[in-house]
Amino acid sequence: MREPDFNDLAARLLQSGIAPRHAHRTVNEIRDHYDDLVDAALEEGVSRRKARLRAAHELGRIDDLVAEMSARRELKTWAFRYPRAAIVVYPLACLAVLPVAPVFAGIANAPLLARWGASLLAAGLFTAALLLVLQLSILFG
Amino acid sequence: MAKSNPPFMSGVPELLLLRLLDNREMYGYELVRSIKEATGEAISLGEGVIYPVLHSLERTGSLQARRKPVGGRTRVYYSLTKQGRGRLRDLQDDWRRIQSGIETALESPGHA
Repeated sequence: MREPDFNDLAARLLQSGIAPRHAHRTVNEIRDHYDDLVDAALEEGVSRRKARLRAAHELGRIDDLVAEMSARRELKTWAFRYPRAAIVVYPLACLAVLPVAPVFAGIANAPLLARWGASLLAAGLFTAALLLVLQLSILFG
Repeated sequence: MAKSNPPFMSGVPELLLLRLLDNREMYGYELVRSIKEATGEAISLGEGVIYPVLHSLERTGSLQARRKPVGGRTRVYYSLTKQGRGRLRDLQDDWRRIQSGIETALESPGHA
């Protein structure tokens, strides 16, 4: 009997449509539960290897857990609960968001945009000053 | 992982979890130990199976969960909501009705 693969459990839960919040919390809880079972077995004087085997046995089959989670519609993401609606709503939402996406991108990258604007202004002023000096030197040179 | 859960156990973990959480808040491992203790180990669950039930009960408003740091780990403690108490009462009534029906059937097999 193998030690449970918690990364695989997380991937399987997410693939079956379980909301990330529930999937990640379940994996953390199962991992803690497994550690508690191992600790309890070790306290009884069992070897670490046997303690892990016993803990895996007590925890139950990972397939059962995935099946039990998948059977609960309320734990799934909105798109998995209403797939037909999602097919319609997601593309429409994308189209609606597209025109305002640059605004959101600008807000999200405001410091970068401010630095870029300041650099552009400084470069413009510097170029204008050079041109002015050139013009004056031509006029009075 | 080896233990599995027979299909006739459907609904039993929910009832037991609500009943135990009616007394005080608990986390998953603690709940499983309490189920074993309360049922005299008559009910043997694959222990991982309680988490889908807990999450489902939380999602439907019967339980609330809160994270609490204990001994270097962050435990998720579950407690019963007002709605959960109502759900517990309903489940207990259903269970007693079914239990009574089955007992009647077992005592008079000729009429079952």
